Amino acid sequence: MIRYLRMFRMFALSELQFELEYRLNFIFVLLEMVLVVGTSVGAVLIMFAHTTNLNGWTLPQMLVLIGVFYLIQGGNALLFEPSFQRLMEHVRLGTLDYHLLKPVNTQFIVSVRHMRVVRIPDVLLGFIVMGVGLAQLGARVGPLDALLFALALLCGLALVYSLLLVLVTLSFWFVRVENLLTIFWAFTDAGRFPVDLYPGWLRFTLSTVVPIGIAVTAPSQAIASKIGPVEVALLAAGTVVAFTVASAFWRLGLRNYTGASA
Amino acid sequence: MNDPVVRVRDLRKVYRVNERQTGFGATVTSLFRRKFKEVPAVGGITFDIAPGEIVGFLGPNGAGKTTTLKMLSGLLYPTSGEAIVNGDIPWRRRDEFLKTITLLMGNRSQLVWDIPAADSFLVLKEIYTIPDAQYGATLDELTALLELEPLLHKPVRGLSLGERMKVEFAAGLLHSPRIAFLDEPTLGLDVSMQARIRAFVAEYNRRSGATILLTSHYMDDVVALCRRVIVIHHGVLLYDGALADLAERMAPYKRISVTLTTASSARDLSSYGEVASRDEYHATLHVPRREAPERTARLVRELGDGLADISVEDPPIEEVIDKVFTSERPLEAVPA
Repeated sequence: MIRYLRMFRMFALSELQFELEYRLNFIFVLLEMVLVVGTSVGAVLIMFAHTTNLNGWTLPQMLVLIGVFYLIQGGNALLFEPSFQRLMEHVRLGTLDYHLLKPVNTQFIVSVRHMRVVRIPDVLLGFIVMGVGLAQLGARVGPLDALLFALALLCGLALVYSLLLVLVTLSFWFVRVENLLTIFWAFTDAGRFPVDLYPGWLRFTLSTVVPIGIAVTAPSQAIASKIGPVEVALLAAGTVVAFTVASAFWRLGLRNYTGASA
Repeated sequence: MNDPVVRVRDLRKVYRVNERQTGFGATVTSLFRRKFKEVPAVGGITFDIAPGEIVGFLGPNGAGKTTTLKMLSGLLYPTSGEAIVNGDIPWRRRDEFLKTITLLMGNRSQLVWDIPAADSFLVLKEIYTIPDAQYGATLDELTALLELEPLLHKPVRGLSLGERMKVEFAAGLLHSPRIAFLDEPTLGLDVSMQARIRAFVAEYNRRSGATILLTSHYMDDVVALCRRVIVIHHGVLLYDGALADLAERMAPYKRISVTLTTASSARDLSSYGEVASRDEYHATLHVPRREAPERTARLVRELGDGLADISVEDPPIEEVIDKVFTSERPLEAVPA
């Protein structure tokens, strides 16, 4: 375990060095994020200029939700997405072989080998927007709420990770799955609003097939004391199941790649 | 012979490939109903390799060389047969096993293009949990042997093909593997860079005692490095033995090149041996190996002043190998 943490640190350091070579790019990314977060906050502000309540969600609560959305999306873009992008490339070019030859869990290395540290501002902005929302709520965030929030956030990240893993594993059979990821990200955008705002069928989709709705809504609800330990425990159980299934599917794909099933 | 580090018994690999007709309609059909064809890549090969050997793996494209290397390094499951490498079954891919091998592919890079090699090396150090002292010593040695100093801190994308290959070698050998599988390591390199890589492989083998299994298209690589060769074609082992014996068995003749002082194309040389080529001043004769000294003496004596130059040599190894590939029947193995 410590070994894996050390490796993780080294991956991050190596990527950080790479990004520092391109400082100008860093500034552009920061600018882009301020614009993106600014417009989505702006949209919510406009909505709430006409109403004070969106199906039970108030403005401060919406701000918390938007903050969590960027936390999750940013966390993903920071940790997993760059590695998965490379994975698909590796499968196409045959360079995945080099990863398979490493004395390390292959799922670990293909998931976090490459990070995009320029995405750290996304996470920070997410925290800021969430903080503003919480301040407006005047909510005292008790230690239990904070704990449940952290747990729900972790589950949210793991849920999105599991789905991404399943999608990229498909590249073992179909080689080119970039467009599938594009569809995924399009769905992800829907997570910017609370999942219970959507009509039934879409709410179902966003909670199960593409669990971004759950992933974003649950932490927001936890920190605003809308859900309690039982719900979070259920969420955690669901996450473990999703992660286990995704890992099993990944191993199946890998077996197919190395010809173990032939 | 020591206990073999590589022990292969009747190793087979059959690929199932999707068979598809050409044309749009067939493409659509194949999305739903796939027809598979079985393609044998390696058809039951058997050999042993002793510690510290450098063995050349020869064969034309599609002979099954890379497939064999991939099975021995654990990347592919065989269809049947056994292999033990460093005392372990490769395709179980245990961490302890993976730490003792390396696979270098001349046509595929493992380094990250955008960052300097030195940074990728640090990541590899962590992955292989190489202790600091050992890492420092190995890197120093590789840097000296491969003259890496000026290359380590440039982004890999800025290196030439030859420079990149040197850095790839260092990356693959940082963890001091006991066995190195080299798949076309000199592919696309110019002649002088090929020679330097070759010199490095020989020196590395001498210093570290690591076993090396090498495939190459370039005969020079094999001639320079390998005393023993394994020839496979269509997945079948055609020859396993000393390189020198291969020449003797496959080409039981020597080649006598003759240069004449006067243009005398009329002169008949067929009484000295089989005339392989002939123009006004030059002739190449093939003569049975054992009779070469006698025939040469006769040529010198009988041509007298008409002879400007004469040389006797083994036929080029390419010619020999080509003969093996066209004969397509296994030769009796000769112990190395």
